[in-house]
Amino acid sequence: MKKMRTPYLIFMFLVLSLPILYLVFYSFNAGTTMQGFAGFSFKHYSELWQDTRLIDIVLETGIVALLSSLLATIIGTLGALAIFRVHRRTIKGVLLSLNNVLLVSPDVIIGAAFLILFTTLKLSLGFMTVLLSHIAFSIPIVVLMVLPRLKEMNPDLVLAAQDLGARPTQVLGQVTIPVITPGIVAGFFMALTYSLDDFAVTFFVTGNGFSTLAVEIYSRARQGVSLEINALSTLIFLLSLAIALAYYFINKVGKRAKTPELKEKVK
Amino acid sequence: MVETQPILEFSQVALSFGETEVLKQIDLALEPGKFYTLLGPSGSGKSTILKLISGQLHADSGQIFFEGQVINDVPAEKRRVNTVFQNYSLFPNMNVFDNVAFGPRLKKLPAGEIETKVKEMLALVKLAGYENREISELSGGQQQRVAIARALANDPEVLLLDEPLSALDYKLRKDLQQELRRIQKRLDITFVFVTHDQEEALAMSDWIFVMNDGLIQQNGTPEDIYDEPINHFVADFIGETNIVPGIMKEDYLVHFVGKDFENVDAGMRPNERVEVVLRPEDLDLTDPENGKLVVTIKDQSFRGDYYEITAMDDDLNTWQVQATNPAEVGARVGLTFDPEDIHIMRYNESEEAFDARLESYDEEEAEAALQAARDDETGREEQGQ
Repeated sequence: MKKMRTPYLIFMFLVLSLPILYLVFYSFNAGTTMQGFAGFSFKHYSELWQDTRLIDIVLETGIVALLSSLLATIIGTLGALAIFRVHRRTIKGVLLSLNNVLLVSPDVIIGAAFLILFTTLKLSLGFMTVLLSHIAFSIPIVVLMVLPRLKEMNPDLVLAAQDLGARPTQVLGQVTIPVITPGIVAGFFMALTYSLDDFAVTFFVTGNGFSTLAVEIYSRARQGVSLEINALSTLIFLLSLAIALAYYFINKVGKRAKTPELKEKVK
Repeated sequence: MVETQPILEFSQVALSFGETEVLKQIDLALEPGKFYTLLGPSGSGKSTILKLISGQLHADSGQIFFEGQVINDVPAEKRRVNTVFQNYSLFPNMNVFDNVAFGPRLKKLPAGEIETKVKEMLALVKLAGYENREISELSGGQQQRVAIARALANDPEVLLLDEPLSALDYKLRKDLQQELRRIQKRLDITFVFVTHDQEEALAMSDWIFVMNDGLIQQNGTPEDIYDEPINHFVADFIGETNIVPGIMKEDYLVHFVGKDFENVDAGMRPNERVEVVLRPEDLDLTDPENGKLVVTIKDQSFRGDYYEITAMDDDLNTWQVQATNPAEVGARVGLTFDPEDIHIMRYNESEEAFDARLESYDEEEAEAALQAARDDETGREEQGQ
């Protein structure tokens, strides 16, 4: 069994990343299709660089993702704090279920629901509607990431802070929020990836020429995939890889700074 | 007891959680600069009293006074009282310095003053030089010291300690008991210490409140409570003890296990049914013919500084005896004790009535009565010869 472990893991990761690697490989194709490699070239990258519409969409997608996850993190954290303070079991259960329903219901339903809402309110579809719907579907994610941290927190910490003279806002700012920060950060990043990923909801509520990357790639793919998309995907893939690595190193450095003695002992 | 103005006073304080009465009519008064202990089993209401003092809970009825002012509605953060929690409850996101500086910073003291204060407090708990340590790097004992320093850095008039030593091992607990006592004397502030450990309470306190079932059963100095327990609960809870039913035939004469014994208690109705307390360390083993009671040794265990012996008399009453020398299991031996070692408890006697009765006859009178009884006996013996 032990002998099989390494080959199995290598095989697994190959299978999982093969489609992406395939896509990356053809982004350097001198030809215009993914059938047959005609030679190495950066031609699709330079095309991408000149495609100002696509670059704008990338930037807009980024803005929507950052803004929506930031606002969702604030609202979601406050929501988690509020749910945590509810003492009646039944009410707490109902609130949590309502939160989870939003998480598990299909994107298509959520998208359709928002479309109906926005048209009823006579909001013109575009940046604002996309932003609002992204905030809405990100909030439950943040709540779900923050709540466990609150439950893990020693409730006496709040009592101790009060005992030492802290007013409720000071307890929140100086004790509760710092203690649950890892959950808040995780919630923010989850919301960010959900927003960047989202296709279905955005597809419903976008309009007036506003588009996000997922929707744009979809509409272009229908007209036959240009290798420009491969080039863009490669860049995004590299960016995600860089973020993942950065996150890993930040975590490692953070932990080392906190427990210097333990590290020394391990050495 | 109330000569100086009490720093803290409870008057008819009661509290219920739903149907359960957690505290029923609590009256107490604490003087400044003393070490008080609330002692009782879990669920007795002792921690509830602490929470009422600190402001975490609010009384249903009755009044709580702090330096003569009613503080029932003063919020926790405005009370000049600080708490040391059982599980330390240090802020994990701050290092030792920031934890101790938490209170002073909230008071917006100047930075220099805060630093002096933190250093002073850490020195007091013998943790000088630990300012920059993270909480996760500290042992349990060190964490508890930081928690004590953090509470004291706020200059409380009263320090509340909620079973602060119960998570520590025996040796560390002993050390910290002495430390706490030293710190309390040095700062000369009031400590209110909650524990279920009677040994800890006897060792540390100036004054003990024994609690059970939401009521103060008895309060007094450790010696009073140990030597003169008011009822079965207190006698049983404080230390090892032998309790047998008896009848108080007349003043200074009690009947139990089928015999009459001289004792030093009085003030009861003739032939009143009572409980008799004999502490294991007051019982001595002797020859069967010299013993006031004859018992058979059933069991013996070595406790380091003494032997814990279990014996049974012919009426099948069990007797716990602490002896410095070992005995032989199965042997018949005599048990002997002095009249002063017998303590009598009446059924359902209130604390006021108990104190009043003890004052009604003084020790000298008891001694005189005993002497008379002895003379009488020797006289009879002489006549017999």
